[in-house]
Amino acid sequence: MRDTLRWAYALNQWNIRMDVFVRHEDQRRALKTLSALGFDHIELAAGTGRWDNLGRPEVIEINHGSPDGFLAFLRSCSVNGVSSMFWDPGQPVEEEGWAFRSTRNRADHAAIVESAKPFVDFLAAIGAEQLVARPAGSAWMQPPLGRDDIAAIGDVWNSVGKVAAAAGVGLALHYDCLSAVHTADELRRLLDTTDPELVGLALDTAELTIGGIDPVAFYEERHGRVTHVHLKDTRYADTGEEYRMPGAETTMLRGGAGRRIERWFFELGTEGGLVDVKAFVGALRRHGYPGWVVVESDHGGNPAELAMLNSWYLQHELSVARP
Amino acid sequence: MTADRLAQRSETPQRRIKWSYMDHWRSNGPAGPVDQWHSHRTMSSFLKQIKAVGFDAIDTFDFRLWQMYGDYGGPAKYQEMVQDHGLERIVNIFHAADYDLRDYAPHVPETHENILEDFRVTMGHWSSIELDNIIVMPATLYYDMEPVTEDKLKISAELWNRVGEITAGHGVKLTCHHEFFCGIQSEPDIEVFYSYTDPRYVSLFVDTAQHCIASVDPVALYRRHAHRVSGFHFKDTRNVATGDDHRHRPDSEIMAPTTGKWFYEMGTPHGLVDFEAMMTAVRDNDYRGWISVEHDKANKDGGDYSESTAVARWYAVNVLEKIYR
Repeated sequence: MRDTLRWAYALNQWNIRMDVFVRHEDQRRALKTLSALGFDHIELAAGTGRWDNLGRPEVIEINHGSPDGFLAFLRSCSVNGVSSMFWDPGQPVEEEGWAFRSTRNRADHAAIVESAKPFVDFLAAIGAEQLVARPAGSAWMQPPLGRDDIAAIGDVWNSVGKVAAAAGVGLALHYDCLSAVHTADELRRLLDTTDPELVGLALDTAELTIGGIDPVAFYEERHGRVTHVHLKDTRYADTGEEYRMPGAETTMLRGGAGRRIERWFFELGTEGGLVDVKAFVGALRRHGYPGWVVVESDHGGNPAELAMLNSWYLQHELSVARP
Repeated sequence: MTADRLAQRSETPQRRIKWSYMDHWRSNGPAGPVDQWHSHRTMSSFLKQIKAVGFDAIDTFDFRLWQMYGDYGGPAKYQEMVQDHGLERIVNIFHAADYDLRDYAPHVPETHENILEDFRVTMGHWSSIELDNIIVMPATLYYDMEPVTEDKLKISAELWNRVGEITAGHGVKLTCHHEFFCGIQSEPDIEVFYSYTDPRYVSLFVDTAQHCIASVDPVALYRRHAHRVSGFHFKDTRNVATGDDHRHRPDSEIMAPTTGKWFYEMGTPHGLVDFEAMMTAVRDNDYRGWISVEHDKANKDGGDYSESTAVARWYAVNVLEKIYR
């Protein structure tokens, strides 16, 4: 995309379960789709196991020989590189014995920092800029945050940020609508407890909106801390307590209970969208935002169709030119 | 005209090739699988996707005429919607006639007046917009024309000469698209047919996949007839018709016993069309104008129109436009 902002696209929507989006040809089709739409960088998402062959550095290297081999694979589809990779240290993975870790538990901190290292090294090797991390687990899975919890969470991310910075990679904490760090005040406290030189904020417009935080206002307030953006829309906001429903990943976000909303995330320009995308992007431009803006479909429908609609919105509503 | 439209018009003359999209499409919505004509919303979504990936215009079928009137206020109003999505216009109309030996069969002289009257009316229907081509399958289905004789080819050619004169009067070329299951699909029959047609009134529209399926080399065919080629459908296939694949009612694209899915997007693995050779021939003949991309039944066997369209556009940009643009 030709613009003062740098645009990338997240691959996560194509990868809906273990045994899909594994064949390289399927991955090539997604990459060519994004390239044809003007996106020349992608965001990866961490995963686990041999099927998730874009989700772990060592598995990517088995598939492509080396970081350079992976870049050559991307470039064969006219995708020039990787902007970032999403990683949730609270998600147990086979490669680490399915260990369940929590950033609020100081006893887990050393292991979390250690588990970040392969991702940091891989991102550095492929020239990616940001490790995008989930700062805390889901609220429904844990007691409310106590007095020292946010400080503990901040400490581990300062440590991870230090490791990342040493490798020339940024660390951006990604707010999500199910997170134990849920309110605007909790998010502010988390940012305040982390070192701005080491830890940034990954601002996801739809996740903040669902969580009851105005992304435009929050960006205006903390634009100096925002080092990464996920741009997507939503038609719904949490009524206030839905994120605390047991199993909120399915009961809330997949419509299993409560209001039974099956789809929360929508393409840019969706009818009834709650995110003021133009105001948000206008604010990014006004503040000279230097990072990546990653457009994300996030399990909203047909991946190619949504990527095309998102690209149309960028070109025709945000005046972003295709290369 | 908006500033965007003016800018677009000022850019396009620099390119010798522009890309149009033939309107086959399916998507899944709350009502299940639908095509883009399902509603204004699905049409808008289709047009956005076509424009986003870099197409300049669309082609459509003329059986959509009444829907254009009913849903949009007529062809000109529908074209305004197309233009509101950043596309230039409707370039070609495919006249998908329901051939019938009783009243609509090019090789049956008794049906000619009916066909001529159809085109007099049809051209009036489309007079509110600028078209390049009206595309026809120039023969009935194969099983209704066989045995294909020189006499039948000559009678058919004479009809299309007269039809072409009518369309030329409206500034539109009459151009022939040879489906593999139509009566004029083999190389010898195509050659005889064109030998009896008047190049002023009858053009050839090269469908790369249809010719390959019929064992005709589309590149060689194009090189022989380049002076009268008025457009292309660029799509690929992985199969050649065998046995009596071309003789199945109602339509061998759907009913042929050997192959469930005939058509694939450009760049598909194991595709039979040599698109690089095709584009080289297009360049060598200094063709200037529109190339249409078509994905007929792309949704079969798990295929997806959106993805196929984007992948085809990737191929056009990264392979074909490096040869000629």
